[in-house]
Amino acid sequence: MFIHMAIDTLGAPPEKKAQLDKIQSDLFAALAPARDAHRALLSTLADGVAAGNVDKTKVDAAVAKVQTASAGVHAATIDALNALYKALSPEERAALMDKVKAHAAVWKKVNADEDPASKDKGSHLAKLTETLGLTSDQADKISAALKQGAPPKPDSAALDSHLTALETAFTSPTFDAKTLATANAANGYIAKNGTARMVRFYETVTPLLTPDQRTKLADHLRKRLNDRHATASTPATTP
Amino acid sequence: MNRTHVTFLSMGIVAAALAVLAPAASAQDADFPPPEVIATLTPTYFEGHAAYWYHDHWHYRDARGAWGFYHDEPAFLRDRRAARPVDRHFYTTGHSVFHGGRR
Repeated sequence: MFIHMAIDTLGAPPEKKAQLDKIQSDLFAALAPARDAHRALLSTLADGVAAGNVDKTKVDAAVAKVQTASAGVHAATIDALNALYKALSPEERAALMDKVKAHAAVWKKVNADEDPASKDKGSHLAKLTETLGLTSDQADKISAALKQGAPPKPDSAALDSHLTALETAFTSPTFDAKTLATANAANGYIAKNGTARMVRFYETVTPLLTPDQRTKLADHLRKRLNDRHATASTPATTP
Repeated sequence: MNRTHVTFLSMGIVAAALAVLAPAASAQDADFPPPEVIATLTPTYFEGHAAYWYHDHWHYRDARGAWGFYHDEPAFLRDRRAARPVDRHFYTTGHSVFHGGRR
Protein backbone atom coordinates (compact mmCIF):
# COMPACT_ATOMS: atom_id res chain seq x y z
CA MET A 1 0.00 0.00 0.00
CA PHE A 2 2.87 2.39 0.69
CA ILE A 3 4.01 1.85 -2.90
CA HIS A 4 0.51 2.49 -4.23
CA MET A 5 0.36 5.72 -2.23
CA ALA A 6 3.88 6.73 -3.25
CA ILE A 7 3.01 6.65 -6.95
CA ASP A 8 0.42 9.39 -6.33
CA THR A 9 3.12 12.01 -5.81
CA LEU A 10 6.02 10.53 -7.75
CA GLY A 11 5.98 13.28 -10.35
CA ALA A 12 6.77 11.02 -13.30
CA PRO A 13 6.47 12.66 -16.74
CA PRO A 14 3.03 12.83 -18.41
CA GLU A 15 3.98 10.27 -21.05
CA LYS A 16 4.17 7.64 -18.30
CA LYS A 17 0.80 8.52 -16.82
CA ALA A 18 -1.26 5.87 -18.61
CA GLN A 19 1.28 3.17 -17.78
CA LEU A 20 1.50 4.17 -14.12
CA ASP A 21 -2.27 4.47 -13.85
CA LYS A 22 -2.55 0.89 -15.10
CA ILE A 23 0.05 -0.32 -12.59
CA GLN A 24 -1.67 1.54 -9.77
CA SER A 25 -4.95 0.02 -10.84
CA ASP A 26 -3.38 -3.46 -10.81
CA LEU A 27 -1.93 -2.82 -7.36
CA PHE A 28 -5.28 -1.57 -6.14
CA ALA A 29 -6.97 -4.73 -7.42
CA ALA A 30 -4.30 -6.93 -5.87
CA LEU A 31 -4.88 -5.25 -2.52
CA ALA A 32 -8.63 -5.87 -2.63
CA PRO A 33 -8.67 -8.81 -0.19
CA ALA A 34 -6.64 -6.84 2.36
CA ARG A 35 -8.76 -3.76 1.84
CA ASP A 36 -12.01 -5.73 2.18
CA ALA A 37 -10.79 -7.42 5.34
CA HIS A 38 -9.83 -4.07 6.83
CA ARG A 39 -13.17 -2.57 5.89
CA ALA A 40 -14.94 -5.50 7.54
CA LEU A 41 -12.96 -4.81 10.70
CA LEU A 42 -13.87 -1.12 10.57
CA SER A 43 -17.50 -2.04 10.07
CA THR A 44 -17.42 -4.42 13.03
CA LEU A 45 -15.84 -1.72 15.17
CA ALA A 46 -18.41 0.84 14.01
CA ASP A 47 -21.24 -1.52 14.97
CA GLY A 48 -19.66 -2.07 18.37
CA VAL A 49 -19.11 1.63 18.98
CA ALA A 50 -22.71 2.40 18.03
CA ALA A 51 -23.98 -0.33 20.34
CA GLY A 52 -21.80 0.82 23.20
CA ASN A 53 -19.92 -2.45 23.39
CA VAL A 54 -17.27 -3.71 20.99
CA ASP A 55 -17.83 -7.43 20.55
CA LYS A 56 -14.45 -9.01 21.19
CA THR A 57 -15.29 -12.30 19.48
CA LYS A 58 -16.40 -10.59 16.28
CA VAL A 59 -13.46 -8.21 16.35
CA ASP A 60 -10.95 -11.00 16.89
CA ALA A 61 -12.41 -12.86 13.91
CA ALA A 62 -12.18 -9.72 11.77
CA VAL A 63 -8.60 -9.10 12.88
CA ALA A 64 -7.68 -12.68 11.97
CA LYS A 65 -9.05 -12.09 8.47
CA VAL A 66 -6.94 -8.93 8.13
CA GLN A 67 -3.84 -10.89 9.05
CA THR A 68 -4.71 -13.71 6.67
CA ALA A 69 -5.28 -11.25 3.85
CA SER A 70 -1.99 -9.48 4.55
CA ALA A 71 -0.16 -12.75 4.00
CA GLY A 72 -1.34 -12.76 0.39
CA VAL A 73 -0.47 -9.18 -0.45
CA HIS A 74 3.08 -9.68 -1.65
CA ALA A 75 2.34 -12.61 -3.95
CA ALA A 76 -0.56 -10.71 -5.47
CA THR A 77 1.51 -7.63 -6.21
CA ILE A 78 4.67 -9.19 -7.69
CA ASP A 79 3.74 -8.64 -11.33
CA ALA A 80 2.68 -5.04 -10.72
CA LEU A 81 5.88 -4.29 -8.82
CA ASN A 82 8.00 -5.73 -11.61
CA ALA A 83 6.06 -3.66 -14.15
CA LEU A 84 6.55 -0.58 -12.00
CA TYR A 85 10.29 -1.13 -11.88
CA LYS A 86 10.43 -1.38 -15.66
CA ALA A 87 8.32 1.73 -16.12
CA LEU A 88 10.52 3.98 -14.01
CA SER A 89 13.89 5.62 -14.58
CA PRO A 90 16.64 5.12 -11.97
CA GLU A 91 15.96 8.52 -10.40
CA GLU A 92 12.23 7.82 -10.28
CA ARG A 93 12.89 4.47 -8.61
CA ALA A 94 15.06 6.16 -6.00
CA ALA A 95 12.39 8.79 -5.42
CA LEU A 96 9.72 6.11 -5.09
CA MET A 97 11.78 4.37 -2.42
CA ASP A 98 12.24 7.65 -0.53
CA LYS A 99 8.48 8.07 -0.58
CA VAL A 100 7.81 4.49 0.51
CA LYS A 101 10.21 4.93 3.45
CA ALA A 102 8.59 8.25 4.28
CA HIS A 103 5.10 6.74 4.28
CA ALA A 104 6.38 3.95 6.51
CA ALA A 105 7.96 6.48 8.87
CA VAL A 106 4.68 8.35 9.16
CA TRP A 107 2.83 5.08 9.72
CA LYS A 108 5.24 4.15 12.52
CA LYS A 109 4.95 7.58 14.07
CA VAL A 110 1.16 7.38 14.19
CA ASN A 111 0.68 3.68 14.84
CA ALA A 112 3.67 2.71 16.94
CA ASP A 113 5.69 5.62 18.26
CA GLU A 114 2.96 7.95 19.45
CA ASP A 115 1.95 7.54 23.09
CA PRO A 116 -1.56 6.08 22.81
CA ALA A 117 -2.61 8.10 25.86
CA SER A 118 -1.27 11.38 24.52
CA LYS A 119 -3.61 14.36 24.41
CA ASP A 120 -1.11 16.52 22.55
CA LYS A 121 -2.16 18.41 19.46
CA GLY A 122 -2.27 16.04 16.50
CA SER A 123 -2.62 12.92 18.65
CA HIS A 124 -5.44 10.45 18.13
CA LEU A 125 -7.06 11.48 21.37
CA ALA A 126 -6.81 15.18 20.56
CA LYS A 127 -8.47 14.51 17.23
CA LEU A 128 -11.18 12.47 18.93
CA THR A 129 -11.72 15.30 21.40
CA GLU A 130 -12.14 17.71 18.54
CA THR A 131 -14.36 15.42 16.47
CA LEU A 132 -16.71 14.38 19.26
CA GLY A 133 -16.52 17.43 21.50
CA LEU A 134 -15.22 15.45 24.46
CA THR A 135 -15.19 17.19 27.81
CA SER A 136 -11.82 17.58 29.50
CA ASP A 137 -12.98 15.05 32.09
CA GLN A 138 -13.79 12.53 29.35
CA ALA A 139 -10.45 13.14 27.65
CA ASP A 140 -8.65 12.63 30.97
CA LYS A 141 -10.50 9.39 31.66
CA ILE A 142 -9.86 8.06 28.15
CA SER A 143 -6.20 9.00 28.38
CA ALA A 144 -5.87 7.22 31.71
CA ALA A 145 -7.66 4.15 30.36
CA LEU A 146 -5.43 4.05 27.27
CA LYS A 147 -2.35 4.39 29.45
CA GLN A 148 -3.36 1.56 31.75
CA GLY A 149 -1.97 -1.71 30.44
CA ALA A 150 -0.73 -0.15 27.22
CA PRO A 151 1.30 -2.70 25.26
CA PRO A 152 5.00 -2.05 24.74
CA LYS A 153 6.06 -0.35 21.54
CA PRO A 154 6.26 -3.06 18.89
CA ASP A 155 9.61 -4.10 17.48
CA SER A 156 9.65 -2.82 13.92
CA ALA A 157 12.62 -4.90 12.77
CA ALA A 158 10.52 -6.79 10.23
CA LEU A 159 9.38 -3.59 8.56
CA ASP A 160 12.77 -1.91 8.77
CA SER A 161 14.53 -4.93 7.25
CA HIS A 162 12.06 -5.06 4.41
CA LEU A 163 12.40 -1.37 3.63
CA THR A 164 16.16 -1.77 3.40
CA ALA A 165 15.89 -4.88 1.23
CA LEU A 166 13.25 -3.30 -0.99
CA GLU A 167 15.25 -0.14 -1.54
CA THR A 168 18.42 -2.08 -2.32
CA ALA A 169 16.60 -4.31 -4.79
CA PHE A 170 14.48 -1.61 -6.42
CA THR A 171 17.42 0.69 -7.06
CA SER A 172 19.58 -2.09 -8.51
CA PRO A 173 20.16 -2.57 -12.25
CA THR A 174 17.78 -5.54 -12.24
CA PHE A 175 14.78 -6.33 -10.08
CA ASP A 176 12.45 -9.22 -9.43
CA ALA A 177 9.89 -8.76 -6.69
CA LYS A 178 9.72 -12.54 -6.26
CA THR A 179 13.08 -12.43 -4.52
CA LEU A 180 11.86 -10.13 -1.73
CA ALA A 181 11.79 -12.63 1.10
CA THR A 182 11.16 -9.95 3.73
CA ALA A 183 7.84 -8.70 2.35
CA ASN A 184 5.43 -11.05 4.09
CA ALA A 185 6.92 -10.38 7.52
CA ALA A 186 6.68 -6.63 6.95
CA ASN A 187 3.06 -6.87 5.80
CA GLY A 188 2.31 -9.04 8.81
CA TYR A 189 3.89 -6.49 11.14
CA ILE A 190 1.76 -3.70 9.71
CA ALA A 191 -1.45 -5.72 9.78
CA LYS A 192 -0.87 -6.99 13.31
CA ASN A 193 0.22 -3.76 14.94
CA GLY A 194 -2.00 -1.39 12.99
CA THR A 195 -5.13 -3.35 13.81
CA ALA A 196 -4.17 -4.10 17.42
CA ARG A 197 -3.69 -0.43 18.22
CA MET A 198 -6.89 0.56 16.45
CA VAL A 199 -8.99 -2.12 18.14
CA ARG A 200 -7.63 -1.28 21.58
CA PHE A 201 -8.39 2.38 20.98
CA TYR A 202 -12.07 1.78 20.18
CA GLU A 203 -12.54 -0.88 22.85
CA THR A 204 -11.19 1.55 25.42
CA VAL A 205 -12.93 4.67 24.23
CA THR A 206 -16.45 3.32 23.60
CA PRO A 207 -17.64 2.82 27.20
CA LEU A 208 -16.53 6.34 28.09
CA LEU A 209 -18.62 8.11 25.45
CA THR A 210 -22.17 9.39 25.57
CA PRO A 211 -24.73 7.76 23.22
CA ASP A 212 -24.59 10.78 20.90
CA GLN A 213 -20.80 10.66 20.78
CA ARG A 214 -20.90 6.94 20.03
CA THR A 215 -23.28 7.54 17.14
CA LYS A 216 -21.03 10.26 15.78
CA LEU A 217 -17.92 8.13 16.12
CA ALA A 218 -19.59 5.15 14.47
CA ASP A 219 -20.60 7.40 11.56
CA HIS A 220 -17.03 8.64 11.32
CA LEU A 221 -15.76 5.06 11.15
CA ARG A 222 -18.29 4.13 8.48
CA LYS A 223 -17.17 7.08 6.37
CA ARG A 224 -13.69 5.58 6.42
CA LEU A 225 -15.09 2.50 4.70
CA ASN A 226 -15.16 4.58 1.53
CA ASP A 227 -11.55 5.67 1.88
CA ARG A 228 -9.71 4.46 -1.21
CA HIS A 229 -6.58 3.75 0.84
CA ALA A 230 -8.37 2.13 3.76
CA THR A 231 -6.13 -0.71 4.81
CA ALA A 232 -4.03 -1.42 7.85
CA SER A 233 -1.16 0.47 6.21
CA THR A 234 -2.92 3.81 6.05
CA PRO A 235 -1.32 6.13 8.56
CA ALA A 236 -4.35 6.95 10.64
CA THR A 237 -6.93 4.39 11.55
CA THR A 238 -8.38 6.44 14.35
CA PRO A 239 -9.92 9.92 14.03
CA MET B 1 26.58 26.05 -7.98
CA ASN B 2 27.02 26.16 -4.26
CA ARG B 3 25.67 23.04 -2.58
CA THR B 4 25.67 21.82 0.96
CA HIS B 5 25.78 18.08 1.58
CA VAL B 6 24.50 16.65 4.81
CA THR B 7 23.63 13.34 6.33
CA PHE B 8 19.96 13.00 7.19
CA LEU B 9 18.41 10.40 9.43
CA SER B 10 15.42 10.25 7.14
CA MET B 11 13.35 7.77 9.13
CA GLY B 12 13.29 9.94 12.21
CA ILE B 13 11.20 12.95 12.99
CA VAL B 14 14.19 14.96 14.06
CA ALA B 15 16.87 15.30 11.43
CA ALA B 16 20.44 15.07 12.57
CA ALA B 17 22.59 17.01 10.20
CA LEU B 18 26.31 16.99 9.59
CA ALA B 19 27.75 19.54 7.28
CA VAL B 20 30.46 18.14 5.07
CA LEU B 21 31.31 20.55 2.34
CA ALA B 22 29.71 23.80 3.31
CA PRO B 23 32.08 26.14 5.10
CA ALA B 24 29.49 27.21 7.63
CA ALA B 25 26.30 25.22 7.95
CA SER B 26 23.82 27.01 10.15
CA ALA B 27 20.83 25.65 12.03
CA GLN B 28 18.75 26.70 9.05
CA ASP B 29 20.86 24.38 6.87
CA ALA B 30 19.70 21.36 8.89
CA ASP B 31 16.06 22.04 8.13
CA PHE B 32 15.41 19.14 5.80
CA PRO B 33 12.00 17.89 4.71
CA PRO B 34 10.54 15.42 7.23
CA PRO B 35 8.97 12.12 6.14
CA GLU B 36 5.46 13.56 5.97
CA VAL B 37 6.68 16.08 3.40
CA ILE B 38 8.67 13.57 1.34
CA ALA B 39 5.65 11.27 1.34
CA THR B 40 3.22 13.86 0.05
CA LEU B 41 5.12 16.42 -1.99
CA THR B 42 5.60 15.90 -5.72
CA PRO B 43 9.27 16.36 -6.65
CA THR B 44 10.87 17.86 -9.71
CA TYR B 45 13.61 15.79 -11.35
CA PHE B 46 16.87 17.61 -11.93
CA GLU B 47 20.48 16.46 -12.34
CA GLY B 48 19.48 12.82 -11.91
CA HIS B 49 17.57 13.10 -8.67
CA ALA B 50 14.23 14.14 -7.25
CA ALA B 51 14.26 17.65 -5.80
CA TYR B 52 11.75 18.82 -3.20
CA TRP B 53 10.92 22.47 -2.57
CA TYR B 54 10.76 22.86 1.19
CA HIS B 55 11.42 25.85 3.44
CA ASP B 56 12.66 27.98 0.57
CA HIS B 57 15.24 25.50 -0.73
CA TRP B 58 15.34 22.62 -3.19
CA HIS B 59 16.37 19.47 -1.29
CA TYR B 60 17.54 16.21 -2.82
CA ARG B 61 19.25 12.93 -1.97
CA ASP B 62 22.58 12.44 -3.70
CA ALA B 63 24.03 9.23 -5.13
CA ARG B 64 25.45 8.30 -1.71
CA GLY B 65 22.06 8.63 -0.11
CA ALA B 66 22.90 11.83 1.76
CA TRP B 67 20.43 14.70 1.76
CA GLY B 68 21.58 18.02 0.44
CA PHE B 69 20.15 21.23 -0.93
CA TYR B 70 20.95 23.89 -3.45
CA HIS B 71 22.15 27.05 -1.75
CA ASP B 72 21.40 28.98 -4.93
CA GLU B 73 18.26 28.00 -6.76
CA PRO B 74 19.10 26.54 -10.19
CA ALA B 75 17.43 28.38 -13.03
CA PHE B 76 15.67 25.22 -14.22
CA LEU B 77 14.09 24.62 -10.83
CA ARG B 78 13.25 28.27 -10.37
CA ASP B 79 11.49 28.28 -13.73
CA ARG B 80 9.62 25.08 -12.91
CA ARG B 81 8.47 26.50 -9.60
CA ALA B 82 7.28 29.65 -11.27
CA ALA B 83 5.49 27.75 -14.01
CA ARG B 84 3.86 25.07 -11.87
CA PRO B 85 2.62 25.33 -8.29
CA VAL B 86 4.14 22.83 -5.88
CA ASP B 87 1.83 19.80 -5.81
CA ARG B 88 1.20 18.59 -2.27
CA HIS B 89 -1.11 15.72 -1.41
CA PHE B 90 -2.45 14.94 2.03
CA TYR B 91 -3.49 11.86 3.87
CA THR B 92 -7.14 11.02 4.30
CA THR B 93 -9.75 13.22 5.93
CA GLY B 94 -9.37 13.38 9.64
CA HIS B 95 -5.66 12.80 9.59
CA SER B 96 -3.77 15.53 11.33
CA VAL B 97 -0.13 14.67 10.96
CA PHE B 98 0.77 17.09 8.24
CA HIS B 99 1.31 20.70 9.02
CA GLY B 100 4.84 21.20 7.76
CA GLY B 101 6.12 22.11 4.37
CA ARG B 102 5.77 25.64 3.20
CA ARG B 103 5.15 25.93 -0.45
